[in-house]
Amino acid sequence: MFERKRKPGSRAAEALRLVSVSKVYGTGDGAVTALDGVTLSLPTGSFTAVMGPSGSGKSTLLQCAAGLDRPDRGQVVVDGEEMSGGGEAALTRFRRERIGFVFQQYNLLPTLTVEENTALPLRLAGRRADRENIRAVLTRVGLGERLGHLPDQLSGGQRQRVAIARALVTRPGVIFADEPTGALDTRSAREVLGLLKETVRLHGSTVVLVTHDPVAASYADSVLFLADGRLAGHLSAPTAEAVAERMTHLGGRVAGRHADNGPLMEV
Amino acid sequence: MLFLAMRSVRKRPGRFLATLLSAFLGAVIIMTFGSLHDTAAAPGVDEVSAESMTLSASVVGGYGSLLVFFAIASTLTVAVRQRAEEIRLLRCTGATPAQITRMVVGEAAVVALAGAALAVGPAVLGGRLLLGLFRDSGQVAATVAPAFGAMALGSGFGVALLASVGAAFLAVRRATRAAAGARGPARRRGRTWAGCAALVAGTGGVLTTYAVDPADEMLMAFPAYGAILLSVGFAVLAPALLGRILELLRGPLDALGGAGGYLSTRHLRRRGAELAGVLMPMIIFTGMATATLYIQGVESDWVTRSGLDRTVEDKNLETLNLVVVGIIVVFSCIMLVNSLYAATSYRRREFGQQRLAGATPGQVLGVVGREAVVLTLTGLVLGTAAGMAGIIPFTMVRTDQVLPDQGPGTWLAVMTVAAVATLGTSLGTARRALSTPAIDAVTVAA
Repeated sequence: MFERKRKPGSRAAEALRLVSVSKVYGTGDGAVTALDGVTLSLPTGSFTAVMGPSGSGKSTLLQCAAGLDRPDRGQVVVDGEEMSGGGEAALTRFRRERIGFVFQQYNLLPTLTVEENTALPLRLAGRRADRENIRAVLTRVGLGERLGHLPDQLSGGQRQRVAIARALVTRPGVIFADEPTGALDTRSAREVLGLLKETVRLHGSTVVLVTHDPVAASYADSVLFLADGRLAGHLSAPTAEAVAERMTHLGGRVAGRHADNGPLMEV
Repeated sequence: MLFLAMRSVRKRPGRFLATLLSAFLGAVIIMTFGSLHDTAAAPGVDEVSAESMTLSASVVGGYGSLLVFFAIASTLTVAVRQRAEEIRLLRCTGATPAQITRMVVGEAAVVALAGAALAVGPAVLGGRLLLGLFRDSGQVAATVAPAFGAMALGSGFGVALLASVGAAFLAVRRATRAAAGARGPARRRGRTWAGCAALVAGTGGVLTTYAVDPADEMLMAFPAYGAILLSVGFAVLAPALLGRILELLRGPLDALGGAGGYLSTRHLRRRGAELAGVLMPMIIFTGMATATLYIQGVESDWVTRSGLDRTVEDKNLETLNLVVVGIIVVFSCIMLVNSLYAATSYRRREFGQQRLAGATPGQVLGVVGREAVVLTLTGLVLGTAAGMAGIIPFTMVRTDQVLPDQGPGTWLAVMTVAAVATLGTSLGTARRALSTPAIDAVTVAA
């Protein structure tokens, strides 16, 4: 029921590719290098967590990769299409064709019902909002009974599931989830992470999860570590313990991090 | 809690600018007219001079005060409603509803006092200018000296404080109750009652016109009061009505309007309380401007025709009256722009959310534009209704006609100003809000 409308072959094998992406905030003495030549590649159907201490550049990485902010240098390719210059309108069109978002603060529109919120990206893109499909996606995230509710009538976990349904409905090349469990209790957090994992397993979506929580990161297939705006290693098939330990040592790995920051990193 | 109130006023002066501006302008107007009372009451003023000043001060100053009262109250309501997030945070930090109420009401009082205090200087000047006009037109003897005293200060500070504190109290009580989880019909019923009460009082004011002696110089006050109260009543009841109309038209509107129309109709339908805050100054402006300008026109014609102005030059008197009415009209127009600016800039976060859901900046502007058009149409229809309700009785009593001779020119001008002010302010403010990156706009700046 969730097959893409595009032909299966049209999906690029590489969902996301960053080449030497750099971003500096501010100028002169106050300049902060948030991203320092990050290069990475994520295959379609992968579930990757991006971790790092606060100030490591996680959020900047997500914003640059997702077209919410423009990198100063470097190349961003999503689903085989390079993100080019152009105005905010062009960038918006790029985003809504290829990228889905899940935020910590949900960012659902308070005046739209669950069903209307989910259909919104399709409507904005001028695509047909197929009622059956939207209901099916909402049923899949466990909200088939709450189509007519407004966001403030839902719990945090339910709101986040609406946000996931909204991200799924356009069948994007990559879903970016920015601390999606940051505002949730443990049980809702587990449900939301399980749901993200399921979209990867069963439906072949690609998910990038930015988090500082080792337990959340352990749901991913692999974890990328970030420190001082550079990649600082990765971990496959992560466990919460291994991630937590890696995080503890991240501060001490400054000397060795250049070795991990190879030109192109396959994960 | 007063400490918290002082702190938040001092640390965030920008947020209080809209309320300060309305308190300031409102107090300037009230004090300017109030100073006429003081001047008239001074010893040695001849009876004719005193009478013309007292008349203008009580008629125009009177309905002006009512207008200022609602203008300040509606700005305050919009401002308090925008602080829901802060109120929620304070509640989580352990503030009781009474403490939160004291803080918000305390701030409102501080801002109103500051506005009124700032208004004293300009009002002294305004009072002198107004007296000058009276003297030039021969309404007041050239020897009368300007005075500024208890009436001016008392009414200026009184109305500004009462409107601010009263509106802040009601709005914060609603906000704390909403934060505590109470919602639903009780509040709506209260609104409906208040709206109906304003309509009844307004109809009463308008109908009183018929009971007054056709030659009474105070006659103009009744339809003016009536028109203001009717505008307020319409503004309070309009959102629910508008919601119902939009609900009925949902199908065709969705089909016609695309994604922008879809978002606009839903926003308008489910944000009744916010809408009332903008509709109030909108309907008051169109209603007031139409009513007072036409009433003044009819009044001038009547004075000319009846030859009551034998002691003064017609032309000067007409100018004076138009200046006096013009002050009120300009004030309500500034209030309209002020509230629209406050309401639209508050929606920065919502615009960010729309953009993150895939709306281009153009689409967001389209949504805002559509909403402004619907608001303008609603305001024009209801404002015209309120204005006509004041004009018709006055014209019927003063002259033998039902409608004034002036023709639709003034009405068209008022409606054009209202439409341009609404669309211009909404779109201009939204455009500025869109210059922030979407991701920054959605992070709450409490």
